[in-house]
Parts: sequence; C-alpha cells; structure tokens
Amino acid sequence: MTDLKLPPAMAGLRPALGEIVTQGHEQAPYFAVLLSSKHGLIITIDNREERVIERPPSAGTVLSAFDGQTIYERAVSGFDRGEVQKTARELVRGRSFAKYTPPAEYESQRSGDFAPSMQIDPADLSIREKLDRCRELHGRIKGRDPRIVNVQVRYIEAGEHAVFASHSADLAQRLQRLNLFVLVIVAGEDGQVQYDWRSKSGGAGWEVLNFTDEEIQSLVDSAVALLGAERIEPGEYQLIAAPGVSGTICHESFGHGVETDMFLKQRARAAHFIDRTVGSPLVSIFDDPSQPGGFGSYFFDDEGRLAAPTQIVEEGVFRRGITDLYSATALHIPRSANGRRQDYSRKAYARMSNTYFGAGTSSLDEMLAQVEHGIYLDKWSSGMEDPQGWGIQVTCHYGHEIKGGRITDRVFAPIGISGYVPDVLQSITAVGREWRLEAGNCGKGHKEIVPVASGGPHLLLKARLG
Amino acid sequence: MILNKIVEALNGRSDLVGWTVRHLASQGAQVYAVPEQIESQRLVNVERYKIDVLRQTSDANGKQAVGSGDVTLLPGEDIDTAIEKAVLTAGLVANPVYTLPAPSALPEVLLVDTDLQKDPSTVVKDMVEHIRAVASENRGVHLTATECFGEIHTTHLINSHGIDAEQESTQIHVEFVLHGQRGESDVETFTEMDRRCVGDLNLEDEIEQRARHTLDLFETTTPPSWQGPVVLRNEVLAMFMAGDTLHGGVLQTLGSAASKYAKTSPWEIGKSVFRGDVKGDPLTVWANRCIPFGTNSNRFDEEGLSAQRVALIRENELVAFAANQRYANYLDLPATGAFGGVELPPGPMEAAALITEPYVEIIQFSWFNPDLITGDFATEIRLGYLVQNGVRKPFRGGQLVGNYLDALADVRWSAETGFFGNYLGPHVARFNDLKIVG
Repeated sequence: MTDLKLPPAMAGLRPALGEIVTQGHEQAPYFAVLLSSKHGLIITIDNREERVIERPPSAGTVLSAFDGQTIYERAVSGFDRGEVQKTARELVRGRSFAKYTPPAEYESQRSGDFAPSMQIDPADLSIREKLDRCRELHGRIKGRDPRIVNVQVRYIEAGEHAVFASHSADLAQRLQRLNLFVLVIVAGEDGQVQYDWRSKSGGAGWEVLNFTDEEIQSLVDSAVALLGAERIEPGEYQLIAAPGVSGTICHESFGHGVETDMFLKQRARAAHFIDRTVGSPLVSIFDDPSQPGGFGSYFFDDEGRLAAPTQIVEEGVFRRGITDLYSATALHIPRSANGRRQDYSRKAYARMSNTYFGAGTSSLDEMLAQVEHGIYLDKWSSGMEDPQGWGIQVTCHYGHEIKGGRITDRVFAPIGISGYVPDVLQSITAVGREWRLEAGNCGKGHKEIVPVASGGPHLLLKARLG
Repeated sequence: MILNKIVEALNGRSDLVGWTVRHLASQGAQVYAVPEQIESQRLVNVERYKIDVLRQTSDANGKQAVGSGDVTLLPGEDIDTAIEKAVLTAGLVANPVYTLPAPSALPEVLLVDTDLQKDPSTVVKDMVEHIRAVASENRGVHLTATECFGEIHTTHLINSHGIDAEQESTQIHVEFVLHGQRGESDVETFTEMDRRCVGDLNLEDEIEQRARHTLDLFETTTPPSWQGPVVLRNEVLAMFMAGDTLHGGVLQTLGSAASKYAKTSPWEIGKSVFRGDVKGDPLTVWANRCIPFGTNSNRFDEEGLSAQRVALIRENELVAFAANQRYANYLDLPATGAFGGVELPPGPMEAAALITEPYVEIIQFSWFNPDLITGDFATEIRLGYLVQNGVRKPFRGGQLVGNYLDALADVRWSAETGFFGNYLGPHVARFNDLKIVG
C-alpha cells in the first residue's frame, strides 16, 4: 500500500467523493473532482540572517462539469464535506449537459495511489536538520574569496497532494520537489556587484542535493570572473549551448509553441506544421511527465490523465502537441497528460512537464573541435515564448569565448539569444551525448506558474547573440 | 469567530515577543473565451489565516536575538497545533533583534470598484462581451482568446502591538489576443492588463490601438541596427519603469532596504543612483502605495505599516530605501513598508516634442526582464517602428541591449502623464542613446 501522507482533511473527504461524483454524473456526463493541496518550506541562510518560512500553501477542491462547449467550475477552499457537496449541487443545478457524450478515451477506468521513490524523504527530516544542512553548506562557501560580500543558500521544498475522482477514475498522488540554490554575490573594487548561482533539484529526496567542493569552487570562480565580464559584440555566432540553455531553447520553441490550447486560440504557428520539417534531422524533442526524478514529473495530471511521454519532434519533423482536456476535445486530437493548474484557484491549461531535446552521439570535445571562433553559453537566466511569431528570446547569465576549439577565460554577460525558431533548430549540426534536466518555473504569459524541467544535451548551432 | 480564537490563543502564549495574524479572504469570477465560445466559467473562493510569530532566541555567542516563524491555517484546522508549529520554527533561528510595527493612522486609499464588489460574475461577463464587441468593430483582426478575472479581496490584520486594521480591494486581470490572417501569414498581438477598477481599463482605445499594431505586423521588416533615440510609451513604458508581477523591477530591487542589507544594492542615501553623468532629465521617483486604484496600493501592508508616498529618488539622489520594519530596524531607517507603485513627476517637455524624427519606438517586447542587480538587459522586440523621413516603418525581432540605469541617465520625460496600474507618471519617454541589434 503506497503511503501518500495525505493531509488529514483531504484523506477524510476522499471516501465521500464516490457519492459526490455519482450525483454530479447524473446531471453531467463529464463530472470530476480534484482535491489539491500544495505546501512547503523555504529556508534561507545568508551571511547576515536566517529565515525559515512556510511556502505559501494552497488547499482546495475543484468541481468540474463539462457540456462539450464550456467547462463549468467551482473552486472552494479546503476539504469540508458539506461545503463540497453543496457546491457540487450548485454547479450542475439549472444547466443542461445531456447532449454531450465524452469520448470513450476519457472513460477508461483507472485507479491507483502513487508516490515518488526517495532515499531521503524530506518528511523524515526535522526542520532543524534541514536548517543545519543549509548552514553547513553556507559555511563551506562564505569564506572562499575576499571579494564575496554575501552568500545565500536557499532550500525550497514543495510538497503536493492530489486526489482526482470521476466516474471512471480514482487516483491519488504525492509529489515532492526539492531545490537547493546557492547564490554567491561578489563586489569589485569599484563597487560593482556581480553574482552567480548553482542549484540542485529534482522530484526526489535530499539525496539529489549534494554539492561537491569542486562545484562550489567553480561557482565562486565564475562569480568573481563576472566582475571582468564584457558585453558581447552583437552578431551571428557559432555557439555551443550547455544542457540548461538547450533546455530553455527547447522549452520556448517547441514547448510553449505546441501547447494545444494555443492551437485552439490560433496562437501557435506549429498548428500548420504537423508532419512538416521544423529542424535539423538531429533534433528530437519530448515532453515526459513520467520521467523519474524530474522536477516537472507527476503520476497523473490535474485532469486525471495518467502520465506518459509525448514525442513532439521526431528527427526534425513536428509530430504532435501536448494537450489539456478542453483543447483536445475541441480539436478532436488525442490527449496527453499535460492538463495542469497553478493551484485549485486556477483553470487547467495545456502545460509542459519535463521538456527536452533527445541526446545525440557527440562528446563536448568533439563539438568544441568544430568551433574556430564562437561562444559557449554556460547558463540561462530566462526565456519567453512567441508561439505565433516563432521568435525566440533566451537570456543567458553569461557565456565564454570559444577560440581554436577551446573555451577561454573571456566571459560575456548577459547574452541574449534571438532568432526565428526553425532557423535556430535547422542550424543544429551536432548533438551531445551528455544529457540532463534543470528545474524551472513556467508561466503562461506572465501568470499560471507551474514547476517544470527543461534540458537536453549540448547543442552546436548558429544564432544571433546580443 | 476563528480570528478571535487565534488572537486569544496567541495572547495566551508567554513565549512570544510579538505576533501578527491576518485573515485573508477572496472571492472572484473567471471567464475564459476562445474564438467561438466560452471555454470556461469559474467561481473561486479562498479563505485562510496567516500567522507570524516572533520569539526571543540567542545567537551562537549567547547574544539576544529573535526568531520568526509562520503558518497558514485553513478554516477547520486546529489553531493550537498550527501556532505551536510556527513557534517551534521561530525557536530554531537567531537573527538580530527587530520589532513589529505599532498602530498608526491609516490613509483612505481608493481600492474598490463598487460594481465589481457587488457582483463580480456579472462584471466579468460584461467585460468579456464588451471586449468581443469592440474587437469585432476592427476590420482585419479577430479576437481569438480572452481571459477576464474579477476578484474581491478582504484583509483583517491584528498584531500584538495593537494594530487592528481592515481593508477591502478589488482586482481585475484582462488578457486578449487579436489575430490577423492574410493568406498563409498569421500575426497576433497579446495584451494583458491589471487594474483595480474597470473604468481604468480604457478597453476601446486599447483594442483599437492593438488592432492597428496587429495589422502592422503584416508589414514588418527585419530589425534595424540602431543606436540613438528610442521612444517608449504607455503600457510598455509602465513595464519598463515598474516591472511586472513575475519578475519585479530594478527600482524596487535596488531601492529596497532588504537588498541593501544583503549587499546586493550598491545605492547609498544622499548619493546619485547612477554610475556616470546624467545627460537627460533628472530622475525623481516615489514609491507610492497611495495611488488611487493602484494595483500595488493598499491602506496597510503585510506587516500593518500604513500606506505612504515615499520619496525614493530626488533629482538623481537616493533619498530613502523602501524598508519593512525588519530592515528598517537593521539599517536604522524609517519603516516605509512595501514599495507600492512607481510614481514619477511630469517631465519638462510636451510629448509631441519628444517624438521628433529619427527615432525607434518599441511597442512590445517579448519580455523586458533586466538583471535586477546589474541592470543589464538584452531583450527581444516583438514590434517596433523605425520612424524617419516621415515614414513609420514597422519591424519585428532584434534585441534592445543596454543597462537600465544608464538608460535612465539619458532620458527625456513627457509633461503629460498617465496611470497604468502600477505606474503613474509621464506616458512618453525618449531614451536618447539606446542600442538595437538586428
């Protein structure tokens, strides 16, 4: 039996969901209940203060009824049985759902309780133990260079419980996401302030949060090096994107651009490119919420769809998008498990989970050997989608010069990558074999934040930098 | 009442040196529309109690310190268990001593749209219909997506130092997408706005203007390589000055006492905020929580500090940091509370005089997100115009690159002002020397 550690109020309501669903289903052929609880902890240690604060929690119930045209929802705080029953009756009262018949695909029976595999479950550590681990890490960093003016260690623990019930589904899951973030702030003699950071993260336990001494020293060195950073001469460059930068390119191009709610809103150019070439044959792109340990992983989405991988681009050819219930229904396309909500107070949209370029065969050295003069983009800091225009904006915190096949000490910061998505993807001439995911938070425009991961291998490509 | 029970329980603790409890409740309506129909209608109720406690502790050297802890309580949850959790957490950390705010007079700040307050569902549905109707009057474009949220928020804050304050506010979020198609060519503009009052949205003008921008996207050329005057106005200028909810802004970051305490802000009171000479109009900025219907306005903030209009920068010199009680105590500064909205005084020149050719006007960025500490930016342009020789030529792509503070050190502001939710000030700015890389 999976121990979900469900919050007591949620566990108390779960047995009543069958009755609530049955009553709702009498009126609405599609009727579902989602119980959602998000909670967590943030520990921050810097040279001058410490903080332990609760991660702003949310806990509530979403009742959904669909007539094939409109999804009607009521979202209420908490898990009070009487309140949920009353709200469920109000939701369907006076509405006609009879003409709608949900596709058989949505009616497949599914049930199960799911929890991630963790070696060191944060639930088994006290707050004091977590605080001490953060203090220990902070102590390993703060005195490493006289130019360091502050070191911040931030531990973010995000726990999530969800129960989904419909007449064909009885699902429950516990998710655990951890992020340990280290920020090193340095100051030059002229008062200039610069900084760099590293983070460890995953949909896993504390076992993924270890920093080696080499990683810490490398972080301090790169922060100090930024004091001498130059602005890059704008132009087109041959460049090698580190896995995190590759992931951000992937996320902003064929991640957001293939969320099918954007197809429905005529906001995605990719809608016209199904089974057409959009990139180099070396390019394959996936979204996979079932990726073990991924920061964007889950067992089922907020609309009760069991997690499974989706291949978005296959050897340069765009195959399909990622869907939520509404857009898949309206567009008559197959579902994928990507219906996600920021929390119970928001609707579900088609959202990414873990989105990445598939690995290739080249080593980094082999890729560097192909670059006489170019840029190694070390670290991304942000990105923004443009699904209709297929423009791309990825901002990198810094990058290094590549000269004669070697990465030099010359550093540029910040660097913006821009271009037309198919041109950027077509320009990829080598794909690395080293592969990793990096955690992030993703918005739909400037809101609807959900945890995701993006990644891939090193990529050798051409793009405009500025 | 649950709030009274929480206060009673907190007053019964002898191990606390201070506490704050907030009862936060909101109700709202959300409508989402796709081209032919309403995708989703939602009613949302949220209620919770946020408890913050302060406890005396001691640091590693035995010096007196304080620790803070917090917890959120949902209706029906056990009060004593929740408070005990916060108190235990507070006992684990030792920070320099700080206090909680004491009562002070609260200003009356306009925060409520009374129509929305009475019936959020009807107001939101009416907004969607209004947007649809106005959009349909613009030939060549059509509305493909709309999202409208209307919310009522109430806060009741009580602390151990005697603050007992209540406030109510309304919040509106509007998004819409205008789409155009000619043959196989598709273009769109995406607009989002936050306000407290429906009357401040000015939807007719906004939609008409965005329709024009959408159609101009059919005519765009490649971006120019440009170094020279760049004009920003209205919403895009507001985003440049006040940042956004996702990312924040440079002024708020560098002007905060928390950043000063963390040594990420190099700014010093009494010194210029710029690293070089100022070639344009002098910069004066208020951090203002009293802007009528400002989206960052309030009567009191999360700690209970009353709203103020704080002179942050006057004639290029830093006058004050925006400081909550904690960092005000640490840095021996006045406690101003949360930053609020960004306000600038009117500039010396009429807007018409600022748009003299040649110049580039940027209408929309992909996302203007400068580095909040260094101020450096490299941001893609979704739509801009190169204006010279009497021709206004649209372009898309390319990046605006530069440094935020250097840009503000060489800018002219318009005498005409506007209100854009989180920004009140000149509605046109001419940055004299910015670079666009094509």
